[in-house]
Amino acid sequence: MSKPLENHWTAVVNGEQKHLEIAQTTRLVDVLRTHLQLTGTKVSCEVGRCGACMVLMDGEPVNSCLVMAYQCDGSDITTIEGLHGDEKGTLHPIQQAFVEEGGFQCGYCTPGMVISTKALLDAHPEPSQEQIETGLCGNLCRCTGYGGIIRAVRKAGERCVEKETSAEETVS
Amino acid sequence: MLLNRKQSGKRWHLRPDGAPKVTGQLQYLTDMTLPNMIHGRVLRSEYPYARLLSIDTSEAEALEGVYAVLTSKDVPGLNRFGIATPDQPVFCEDIVRYVGDAIAAVAADSPERAALALDAIRIEYEELTPLNSTDAALAPGAPELHEHGPGNVLHRTEIKRGDAEQAFAACDHIVTETYFTPRQMHAYMETEGGLFVPDEEGRLNVYAATQHGYKDRMQLARIIGCPEEDIRVVSSPIGGSFGGKDELNVQPYGALLALRCGRPVKMHNSRKESVRAGLKRHPMKIEMQTGMSREGIIQAHRVRITADTGAYATLGAPVLNFCTEHCLGPYAIPNVDVEGVSVYTNNGLSGEFRGFGGNQAIFAMEGQMDRLAAIMNMDPWEFRRRNMREKNDPGPLNQRILVTDGLSQVWEALDRSELWQKHQSPPADPTLPPWIKRGVGAAIAMHGAGLGYGIPDPAGGRLSLNNEGKIEVAFSYEEFGQGLIATLEIMLCDLFQCSTSDLSIIIGDTDRVPHSGSSTASRSTTMAWMALQRLQSPFRSRVLAVASEISGIPADELVTGPGGIWRKGQLPAESSEVETDVQETGKSEKEVVLALEDVNQTSEEAGKLEKAERIEVAEIVAVGNESDQTAESCLGASPYHAKEGVSSGFVVSYAELVTQGEADEWIFDTKFDYPTTPDNVVGGHYLYTYAAVAAEVEVNTLTGETKLLDTRHVVAAGPVINPMGFIGQIEGGSVMALGFTLTEDAVMQDSRYVTTNLDTYLIPTIQDIHTNLEVEAIEDLPEGDAFGPRGIGEIGSVALAPAITAAIHQATGVWVNRLPVPREQLVRPLNVPLQEGVSPS
Ligand code: FES
Ligand code: FES
Repeated sequence: MSKPLENHWTAVVNGEQKHLEIAQTTRLVDVLRTHLQLTGTKVSCEVGRCGACMVLMDGEPVNSCLVMAYQCDGSDITTIEGLHGDEKGTLHPIQQAFVEEGGFQCGYCTPGMVISTKALLDAHPEPSQEQIETGLCGNLCRCTGYGGIIRAVRKAGERCVEKETSAEETVS
Repeated sequence: MLLNRKQSGKRWHLRPDGAPKVTGQLQYLTDMTLPNMIHGRVLRSEYPYARLLSIDTSEAEALEGVYAVLTSKDVPGLNRFGIATPDQPVFCEDIVRYVGDAIAAVAADSPERAALALDAIRIEYEELTPLNSTDAALAPGAPELHEHGPGNVLHRTEIKRGDAEQAFAACDHIVTETYFTPRQMHAYMETEGGLFVPDEEGRLNVYAATQHGYKDRMQLARIIGCPEEDIRVVSSPIGGSFGGKDELNVQPYGALLALRCGRPVKMHNSRKESVRAGLKRHPMKIEMQTGMSREGIIQAHRVRITADTGAYATLGAPVLNFCTEHCLGPYAIPNVDVEGVSVYTNNGLSGEFRGFGGNQAIFAMEGQMDRLAAIMNMDPWEFRRRNMREKNDPGPLNQRILVTDGLSQVWEALDRSELWQKHQSPPADPTLPPWIKRGVGAAIAMHGAGLGYGIPDPAGGRLSLNNEGKIEVAFSYEEFGQGLIATLEIMLCDLFQCSTSDLSIIIGDTDRVPHSGSSTASRSTTMAWMALQRLQSPFRSRVLAVASEISGIPADELVTGPGGIWRKGQLPAESSEVETDVQETGKSEKEVVLALEDVNQTSEEAGKLEKAERIEVAEIVAVGNESDQTAESCLGASPYHAKEGVSSGFVVSYAELVTQGEADEWIFDTKFDYPTTPDNVVGGHYLYTYAAVAAEVEVNTLTGETKLLDTRHVVAAGPVINPMGFIGQIEGGSVMALGFTLTEDAVMQDSRYVTTNLDTYLIPTIQDIHTNLEVEAIEDLPEGDAFGPRGIGEIGSVALAPAITAAIHQATGVWVNRLPVPREQLVRPLNVPLQEGVSPS
């Protein structure tokens, strides 16, 4: 006999410990948008195709419409609200690059795009065109035609690398 | 000028809605919640065509947590909506005509409970055989879907000139082809929805996306049976629309449920619901016959357009008008015989979509041009030039249009382009496997802006100095992503030499903006520009007169500037052509964002709306900019703000000015109509934008896959106000057109959608796009032009399809006449030699 699912859910969301009483079959996207009111995570296709709901789960990008509460119980979740520059309240270099290069229009795909870009740059600090395409092919944007997004990702990449290097220099 | 960030220099203006969007802080209307809200859902038809025999809602009503179940009996006013022809039922009474037809709506304390309630509604149908094609709908004896027949025809169009019959008889060559275009889906990322909030005074607050808040308000008032003033429509920001949210969608249900329950009701369509109920681009069949003389001069053009408009009218008639006008292209053709028909079927709903019928027409007409040129064995671009209308020729409908050089300019610019030069001698690439074929094609278009002659197309706006001493503009336009707010900022900074922190921009709220028309038909930029032209001078005179009174300096020695009024010649902006100081930019950006927050602060306006904790967006932008020396905003440098009191030329601040006299003395309004041709031709346009597009493709003849490698868009639309927005619109339009050409089709089987979500309906991903996309803007306008920058929301999407299919022809010898391009047509066994080049197969 399988153990009945408990409804106590706990996770670290954007660095803060969260406890909720919810059905373990609740989708992560609803946990975030409805229960935690983190509406930066968007919802669009609900079948894992568009990437509007992308968040980082233990550092990996996942479509939060496809993850159930029981699957992320105890994990570390980062949503768009959890991304910022060196200090809270500042723009992350990726976010900043999106603003400067026109990497968004309506902005509805943008949180998901930014999160996927974060995952991409974490894995490939200097991504090739092919790595950008693979890294972001799970995120649809209907407004920009991706031109501004690609320019933003490239710029963000350069910035992140610069920062790394200067940080290393300071350390050494 | 090639348009990119580098070329744009100081005009590269950071969008004020940037930081809230990239941080996820911006609340879209579908993100809004209230503590005591309930959830609405709509019950839609099980069949594309059926008679409703009975509806039993008792079981649903009895469910715990269900607050209301509404059907047609519960509509106090008109049970119909539709922008042009209100023929779509809010709730069907006796017949359902498509799978999106609404029969009932429920409100319950959770979305799950609302879904349960929908299941508990019992409906008896008598299923009827759907009219699943225009042929079926036009067949003799077909049942009539609407009473206002005749037959199932929504609308007919006609252009006849000269004697086509006779001219064809005299032609040396005639090309006959039938073109088919798909049912394209808008696929905006934010699906329809919003929050509907009745307040204590009995007013209804509607927070739901639309392209024309006032039109929604009018229609909702008609449905509810209340004065329009009892409704407030807040309608921005919007997560994409492209024409798809112009008609009412969830609003009637949200509004009726909220009023019935006396509580806020939240609606948010699932993607499947959105596909099923929402508008699509009209699928069209366009038959064309074009005849020319031995010299390659077109003499006669016969066109028959059949558009599948689906179950209800929406904008089917104007779309057909537009298609009819544009199926003549920018060519001078003496003998013309065009007929169009828009047909009701049970196939979903077709309506407004970026390009508005131009995309279909231009695909067909440009296809003809390539086929004719091939017969002549002539360069297709040169063939077009020979047949192009002259500068002073009348427009496609023989109407007077504004004379510009746009057409020849885009033709020449494309002709010169490296990409098009490749066409002459397709580069042989020995490294490619033999089944990969490359080709280059091009197309040209003139595209009308505004709604056209005979259709009310009001515009206007308000300019004022508000209580806080900000220069405030208010328009009934919407921000659905196109960057309107940024464009307005740039225009105002240009006009008044002020800084962005002096501005307050109000849009998307019927309580706060004057009636100034819709954000459709590529009109907002032109309309806003024209309104500001009219308003600037009364506004300026008043401001300077009062400043003169206060200071004793003659008004003609004063000018507006950052922070307030300055002595002429001592304006800091004039003397500070130097690079913007980063700190200053930071400061002004900060204030801009606050102004925008004000615009979009719908939730706070509503009073007690619950919100996720907001981080200081303004701070973010300020700090964000500091680390990037190159990021500067238009005139963002505001020495006044930065070094307050230092500049000696400063006379008086806007805030001090506004304390003089009554508040309403600082408000200036204007009303006018979008310019139309003076000639009596319904739908005829006066202002056109011109575009030429070249495309290079690679076709894999083993798989039939086409990959777009390179494109160049040349656009003649007058001065580029907002380069970032301009590039974004052309790139976005181009990629949307790529989908239209290669992959997108909302497939229907027996009037039911087969492709119900983005996993089967394929819009381009980042892997499918052309990595090379150049945008060239031609900014010339005739001297003293009174209409300013033309809109470019649509022009990027109208001419790519024929350029791609021409390129496919060069690559493979196959003439494609159907979109999305059927892959099977391009597959060739390896041992069959392909006929390449421009000569016809
Ligand atoms: S909403 Fe989750 S991938 Fe589209
Ligand atoms: S910016 Fe609108 S979907 Fe990407």
